[in-house]
Amino acid sequence: MADLAGILGADRLTDEHGTPVLTPRDAAEVSTLLEAATKTGLALVVRGGGTKTSWRPPPVRCDAILSTAALAGIVDRQAGDMTLVAQAGTPLAALQADVTGDATHRQRLMLDGVGGDAATLGGILATRAAGPRRHRYGTPRDIVIGARYVTGDGLVAKTGGTVVKNVAGYDLAKLLIGSQGSLAVITEVSLKLHPVPDVARTVVLQTTDANAVAAFVAAVRTAPITATVFDVRWPEGIVAIRIESTPDGAAAQIDLLHDLAALEELAPEAGDALLEEHLGFPFNGSGAVLGVGVRPEHLATLLTVVAATGGQFVGRATLVAGDIVLPDLDPERIARVVEAVRDLGGNVQARRGDEAHLLAAPTPAPGVATVEAAIKLQLDPAGVLV
Amino acid sequence: MAVADTTSALAVAAQARDIVGPDWVVTDGAQLRVYECDGLTNHRTVPGAVILPGTTEQVAAIVRLCHEHRVPFVARGAGSGLSGGALPTEDGIVIGLSRLREVLDIDVANQRVRVQPGVTNLRVSEVAAPFGLYYAPDPSSQQVCTIGGNLAENSGGAHCLKYGFTVNHVLTATVVLSDGSIVELGSEAPDAPGLDLLGVVIGSEGTVGIVTEALLNLLPKPEHVETLVAMFPSTETAGDAVSAIIAEGVVPAAVEMMDRLAIDAAKTQTPITWDTEAALIVELDGPAREVRQQFEAVTAICKRCGADDVQVAANPDERLTIWRARKSAFAAVGQLAPAYLVQDGVIPRTRLPEVLNGIRALADEAGLRVANVFHAGDGNLHPLVLYDNAVEGEQAKAEAIAMRIVELCVDFGGSITGEHGVGIEKVCSMPKMFTGDDLTAFDRVRSAFDPVGLCNPGKLLPTPRLCGEVPGFYHAHPVETAGLGERM
Repeated sequence: MADLAGILGADRLTDEHGTPVLTPRDAAEVSTLLEAATKTGLALVVRGGGTKTSWRPPPVRCDAILSTAALAGIVDRQAGDMTLVAQAGTPLAALQADVTGDATHRQRLMLDGVGGDAATLGGILATRAAGPRRHRYGTPRDIVIGARYVTGDGLVAKTGGTVVKNVAGYDLAKLLIGSQGSLAVITEVSLKLHPVPDVARTVVLQTTDANAVAAFVAAVRTAPITATVFDVRWPEGIVAIRIESTPDGAAAQIDLLHDLAALEELAPEAGDALLEEHLGFPFNGSGAVLGVGVRPEHLATLLTVVAATGGQFVGRATLVAGDIVLPDLDPERIARVVEAVRDLGGNVQARRGDEAHLLAAPTPAPGVATVEAAIKLQLDPAGVLV
Repeated sequence: MAVADTTSALAVAAQARDIVGPDWVVTDGAQLRVYECDGLTNHRTVPGAVILPGTTEQVAAIVRLCHEHRVPFVARGAGSGLSGGALPTEDGIVIGLSRLREVLDIDVANQRVRVQPGVTNLRVSEVAAPFGLYYAPDPSSQQVCTIGGNLAENSGGAHCLKYGFTVNHVLTATVVLSDGSIVELGSEAPDAPGLDLLGVVIGSEGTVGIVTEALLNLLPKPEHVETLVAMFPSTETAGDAVSAIIAEGVVPAAVEMMDRLAIDAAKTQTPITWDTEAALIVELDGPAREVRQQFEAVTAICKRCGADDVQVAANPDERLTIWRARKSAFAAVGQLAPAYLVQDGVIPRTRLPEVLNGIRALADEAGLRVANVFHAGDGNLHPLVLYDNAVEGEQAKAEAIAMRIVELCVDFGGSITGEHGVGIEKVCSMPKMFTGDDLTAFDRVRSAFDPVGLCNPGKLLPTPRLCGEVPGFYHAHPVETAGLGERM
């Protein structure tokens, strides 16, 4: 075992229930640490706020945790260009507060803070986490315009830049987003900002008929409505639509929605609360949690599967993507959901529960697995990042 | 990098006849010249052979042959790229995808379309139109450019300000890798586990594989569209209006600017009567009442920022004329000078006035004219450097100015390319934007896809042969950096 205290100095090393935690202060220290780990064969787990550690299978080995806690703060915000650069360890909530706190410019950062106030920018990227606002604004892949990172063997590099349009070089941010910290440590991120709308209004449809939900969703999908949020919650039978627009634009769209179905409009605070509730949904209860995605046409079938397996679902109605929370860790129940989603040609990823990770483990096609392994070898040759 | 010679390329061509049929293999010198360049015509190389496969399997079989014979290859769509991305290598193979031009399936319920790479960008929207759908990325060359090329370049277009780039609209792609293996990347359903390899392939300029099929996302056509052209006394005041529109919280579908020279060029092709220093085209789309409300605000902003005249498209025909003027500007500049170079730098939008002044100074210094037509909303400039190729030394002068313009963009915190790609044209400008370590990381990822170096070599990343020694850019094998082995 390497002398952990000797790598960055004893003041960067702490102990957490017997697991050493190293907290580098900048990209150079991350590089020093990863170079040393590469030479000595250390296995490191990268951690931001630690809110989504259950989203990946438990590491087979972990000599130390690399915490990004000290890589925090806003590097630059250009309101006129609607861009923001921040260190990866910055809590997303702090970033969002900073952006929206600037009343002059009325802008916002449209990443969803999946994981609560402690969730960091880097963690959101590494887990490719997205919530209700994804309907309109996409996932981190659609909002990130550049990143700085340190490869497993300590190379300090950047991809993309700080302008919203840029095709110079490979877009390696795409590769790092969702890579669960397995290729490199993200140290800094450039992001697009969006304007704050004039008004936000939320309407809700209540029905426990899965086919009626699917029909309503299909009708809205082809109607002239640009919702920010379009969520389904099952088996409660709630479809929530949030319209953000000009006052006239919102009124017209809400009128149109009322023409399509009998809806109830929520008070603004209730609309915001619903959004927060959906954001926190994957962290409810103590049973297994599965992230699922199916083709739009399979919404009703997915809802039926959820009900039949005793689970709960909150997700995006048109994509279709969201989370299923199961009441327990029963392998049979997990297997039924995994199998049903895969039968639909859909995707499943475990968010919580060892058994869920085991049963939902993907098997990439041979050619894809070869490229993934080659990329891992190129960026983290000694397999430091586990 | 692989070592190939003409014999190897001809050996591949000879064997390819059995795969694609003799009619689809070109080795005749005169016919090969058709493929010697793409839209960047000042770089030309006649390839060793051209092969035109008709299926994914044929593409894979040809790539396997190239791999076996260590012959470099480059995929080619319409050849309309502007950075030389489809420029052949002398002893390499061009794999032309023009026969793969079928729209395979429209899935209206799921709002998506499956196409082969040789389908033109515009055709995707044409086939989707009867269902009230369209394909959002709309590069100016959309009548001719193909989806395969769009994926390679991560094409944008005028409307990417609101709707994003090609990478935001592709669900899956069938890709032939450099060893001839076929992989399916992406997923028809959201949230596929594993690495986002599709996100790397899109925009990789043909350096990591060949896309032979793609599943594209379609969008419902917006309910309402409003388009205006505002005439400004200067590009500076027009630039102020752009900033003011964005600051108002409006996200237009498109914001485009043309300066006087670009307008004069467009007039030779389209019936426009604009007589101004800078024309700002603003388009809004979406739900009708939202659009109308925002359009009023935008019109007021333009007037407040000094527009002498604001013309609103009264009907779809007038809108089409505006867009024809804008989209024809590149080609139309050919009416003003015997030759021109198109640039593609990006700057933070707020630095527009300074950079335009910088470009003017560079043009004056060189004694050349530069027309500006660009995507003002996202700071993507397309300066067109006019020159006379009959005058000795003028092309070199124009090339030097074009390079200094993109480097100026980098100095202002921007990028050397917003949508045309690095290709061969800007390969030696990459170190201006990226450090040696940045480039090393890119090169490692490229090697993971193409360890032998056969896939469109010489593009995207600088090499000592092309650009001289690039400080700090070395090719240490990861095993070496890991301390597990040393260079001999």
